Amino acid sequence: MIEILETGPFNTVQDLGRPGYRDIGVSASGAMDSLAVRIGNSLVGNDEGAAALEIQTFPFRLRFTERTGFAIAGTDGNPVLDGIELPAWCAFTAEAGQILELRQPPKLARAYVCVAGGVDVPSVMGSRSTSLRGGFGGYAGRPLVKGDQIIAGAASTNIPLPASGLAVVEPSIVLQDVFPSSPDGTLLIRALPAGEHGLFADDGKAFWDQTWRISSRSDRTGYRLSGDAIVPTETVEMRSHGVVPGVIQVPPGGEPIVQMSDANTAGGYPKIAGVIECDLWRLGQARIGSRVQFVRSSHAEARAVEKAVERYIADLRQTIPMVKRALKAMA
Amino acid sequence: MSEIDFSDPKTIAFLTEVLTAAGVDGLEISSASGKLRIVVSGGENHVSQAARASSKPAVINAPMAGIFQLRDSASADLPHSVAAADVLGFLRVGHVLVPLKAGHSGVLSRRLIEPGTLVGFGDALFEIEAQS
Amino acid sequence: MIATVHTHMQPLTIIPVVKDHARISAIGSRSFLLEAPGEFDLPAQRRIWALSQTLKGWTDLVEIIPGMTNLLAIFKQTPEDPAEVIDRLSEAWDAARSIDLAGKTIEIPVHYGGQYATDLPALCDLSGLADREVVRIHHEAIYRVFALGSAPGFGYLHGLDPRIYMPRKTVPSLKMEKGCVTIGGMQTGVAMLTGPNGWNSIGFADLQMFDPQSLTPAMMAPGDIVRFLPARIEL
Repeated sequence: MIEILETGPFNTVQDLGRPGYRDIGVSASGAMDSLAVRIGNSLVGNDEGAAALEIQTFPFRLRFTERTGFAIAGTDGNPVLDGIELPAWCAFTAEAGQILELRQPPKLARAYVCVAGGVDVPSVMGSRSTSLRGGFGGYAGRPLVKGDQIIAGAASTNIPLPASGLAVVEPSIVLQDVFPSSPDGTLLIRALPAGEHGLFADDGKAFWDQTWRISSRSDRTGYRLSGDAIVPTETVEMRSHGVVPGVIQVPPGGEPIVQMSDANTAGGYPKIAGVIECDLWRLGQARIGSRVQFVRSSHAEARAVEKAVERYIADLRQTIPMVKRALKAMA
Repeated sequence: MSEIDFSDPKTIAFLTEVLTAAGVDGLEISSASGKLRIVVSGGENHVSQAARASSKPAVINAPMAGIFQLRDSASADLPHSVAAADVLGFLRVGHVLVPLKAGHSGVLSRRLIEPGTLVGFGDALFEIEAQS
Repeated sequence: MIATVHTHMQPLTIIPVVKDHARISAIGSRSFLLEAPGEFDLPAQRRIWALSQTLKGWTDLVEIIPGMTNLLAIFKQTPEDPAEVIDRLSEAWDAARSIDLAGKTIEIPVHYGGQYATDLPALCDLSGLADREVVRIHHEAIYRVFALGSAPGFGYLHGLDPRIYMPRKTVPSLKMEKGCVTIGGMQTGVAMLTGPNGWNSIGFADLQMFDPQSLTPAMMAPGDIVRFLPARIEL
């Protein structure tokens, strides 16, 4: 079992989300950095989509009440186990009584704690993700609080973690050729023009050309962007339609909103663009106050990036058990 | 990602280590470009390497084959003191990293292999001197 | 990338052959929104329902979200050829015949007026109608669930009398109670969650309409008929 010793607000249990119910108004939710969850779970021998703890407010501390394999993914900060700093993107076995501490990451927004066997909370509508708006799923349908006791599922029968632990070369390094970066640190996020892009005329160009700041009124539902307002040339009466995370809507004030994991399932604001799905995890790691610029992409580019990400994950899922077997044999 | 190159000595060395670890006697791989046959001659030599550990200073050996790399640039400066639980570096296999824990507290005095080198099971990587 | 026959749009990368002006645009790389041409009415929605049935047979889709005379199709992966997807959706739309969904009838008792009807005075001002008239017009109509969305179990209801259309608020109410009976433009519905809401509240309904533990979590389904019963009128 895992006991939460210290937590900020809005830390939740998340998996890869609850797709398939948007047609009855249920947001998919799921981890903001889904790639981190897939990697963390791969390290501890879980299915990619096992539930994990999404930590976005720090410091966060927990105690393992029994020997537990765990992995920390997503964050660029080093987790601390009983006072010893461990590398990020790493899996280790904690002994009973050991305390894990996660501090504010230097640059990124979120850390994921994966445990061997997965975080065992009831599956609701096919997912263990917390629906904060709906108040269901995850740990009692709410964020974690001090004193919560979390159960890890039965660990799979496959090879245990080596005593040395196990880590990965993180995606931002392996996949640096397929993810753009800018010299001044502005996050470059690729997007495709969406339905009402044409309504913005010259302001459409202004949308792509300027650097937006992620405002403090941003959360798992969406990021509000601050910058020079963009307005459509005419007001359109929109009929409500389905939306997905990554859609960039422009409400009357002219400051865009990017819907994120807890995105509303339907919307009616004019939408200027949509972030390509394979860049969403990078946006999910963007901090409040950080800068982002949108780069016009294409389906072909999105598909190429998607394939590169899938190859990386497939490679990890093949190599991790192989290395575990080799280490077990030599131990 | 590229195809595995079975003519690459590093690949052969790695496969040999994995086979040794798995207790397999040999392996034959056929491909369009030819045939590769690896025969493992028994694991005694590895055991003898691993058994040296009690000598002073403590030696950190490679737990399997892989490309040796340091944890970060800061850990390149020697000597410096380390705690038993510290991770000194990694062995890289594909995109997977095997952490190399100090295992002993003391002063990390020597690095015996250049970072970026492919090492085999049991190869000595670091020396740690007990702190007096 | 946008495919449309509307002339005010940007230069297009892909222009499909579309017979009756269904508009197809991308949201991200995996989702495509098809918007029916013409009026916001039941015939258009019936074709959307038909299209939705057709798309259920497409194995490369992960999710289909019918909206208000529109439909969002979410693909499992970014399609190799978006032009092919747009053609396929256009053809499916062209072939979609009107179907009617055999819905159930749901009766919702409403407390009109009172503390939750925060926007009733504004609606009276806008429509020029007395509050009693607004309430009567609202509860006498027969509504159809066109689609669900926005919040768990929330049904977008069609059939609102044009005399009581009321635009969504520019600045949403920060905390509207779950159960508020609301009007948003030419749509009406019952708020499913307490929270920010841009629709206009004229009453309150105390009815459990979503249960995540149930096999059918949402009480409403597209095609259902909804009637509001004036349980209490407090003006």
